[in-house]
Amino acid sequence: MAACLNLALRGAFLSQGRNVPAVWIRFVCNHPPENMKTVISESTEEYKFVERLIPPSRVPTPPKHAGPAPSGWTPPADTPPPLPYMIRRSRMHNIPVYTDLTHGSRKTTLVRKVEGDIWALENDVKQYLKEVVGKELPTQVNEVTMTLKVKGHFD
Amino acid sequence: MFRCSVVFCGRGAAKRFASSFSSESALPPNLLLPTNLVDPARLRRGPPPSDSPLPLLSRCDAVVPAHLRPLQTWVETLERPDAEPLGLTELHPDVFAVHPRLDILHQVETWQRNFKRVSHAHTKVRGEVRGGGKKPWNQKGSGRARHGSIRSPLWRGGGVANGPRGPTSYYYMLPMKVRVQGLKVALSSKMAQDYLYVVDSLDLPSPDPQYLLDLIKHKHWGESVLIVDVGDEFSENILQATANLKTVNIIPAVGLNVHSMLKHEALVLTLNTVRFLEEKLLWHDERFTSLYPFALPYSDLP
Repeated sequence: MAACLNLALRGAFLSQGRNVPAVWIRFVCNHPPENMKTVISESTEEYKFVERLIPPSRVPTPPKHAGPAPSGWTPPADTPPPLPYMIRRSRMHNIPVYTDLTHGSRKTTLVRKVEGDIWALENDVKQYLKEVVGKELPTQVNEVTMTLKVKGHFD
Repeated sequence: MFRCSVVFCGRGAAKRFASSFSSESALPPNLLLPTNLVDPARLRRGPPPSDSPLPLLSRCDAVVPAHLRPLQTWVETLERPDAEPLGLTELHPDVFAVHPRLDILHQVETWQRNFKRVSHAHTKVRGEVRGGGKKPWNQKGSGRARHGSIRSPLWRGGGVANGPRGPTSYYYMLPMKVRVQGLKVALSSKMAQDYLYVVDSLDLPSPDPQYLLDLIKHKHWGESVLIVDVGDEFSENILQATANLKTVNIIPAVGLNVHSMLKHEALVLTLNTVRFLEEKLLWHDERFTSLYPFALPYSDLP
């Protein structure tokens, strides 16, 4: 009813030739019709947009590669080789060999996550590095933490 | 070799000595035996053979690495004291057969003892002791030693020079992965020393604590037993039976900790607890580092 009254007023003003104040037009347009009731409703279907933004907490398994990937990463073999020791992959599926530089010039290579006979691994590593480098490299076996340190950087 | 044989028959020798000494056949109550005595009755039960006819009651849910085999243990029941094992269950090697890191056990145990500690020892320093602002006598002329205040640490009633200052907190946190590894090492140690037992469920026929003690005695589980179950609800019988017992305790699976495992000799888990522990402890091996605290929602938390 108030809307009809306002419309009548506006009509009266226009017939008189005056400009209707913009305020009055805005007031008329924004006034809601009184016979509609606002209903508040909750819907949970849109929550899927939030759910797909929540990050995962586990590292995904890498996709299947036949042979080395373009970055140089090689997937682990399905059946481990029949050796007395086993070196697991890290949680990001990489080889657990890390280089370290202390005192500015002291280079060491650390092999972590060793299981089984660590002394056999040490012998194999020494033999292989002797063929690569040409001399016996000092190594340190830590049986408590099952790690192997080698002098020098070998990636 | 000789020392081992002495230790092995130490308990038998003590029993024989006591029986010749008095008419009772029981051991004297204040007898202290060394803790590394081997009880021969416990050695008779071996690990389950691979061709055992009993059914495999539950397998490992998580992926077992290709180079490892899951461990197998008997699943017992608490209904009757002389019951045979119900079946077998598989245990994940990455939780129950990790490398025995005693240094991690020590770290986690000392952390558990100390991180809650707040020492309230407090002494007053010379400035806090009441009085002592005025120079007691002139610097020169009186013949006595020179002093500036009657509350210096040299004086009787004076302040303490380097004493404990106020409530000190010894709080520190070990990294989450170290604490998780400590739990795994403790479980593996219990498994390796034959002190880990798996039970299908904690249903006792009666709430009598003596029944539980007799059952433990008959099965040779050990002096003290820690019973672990998943969930909020426990049956009334087991709660009543363990309520007044000092050596047998029951805790929920979320309350499992290294100190309790070391304090109690035997550890009894239910099948549900084994699955729960494997799921929770193995998640830490394959998780990302936290973007935000793990208490907030992630899409695939265990």
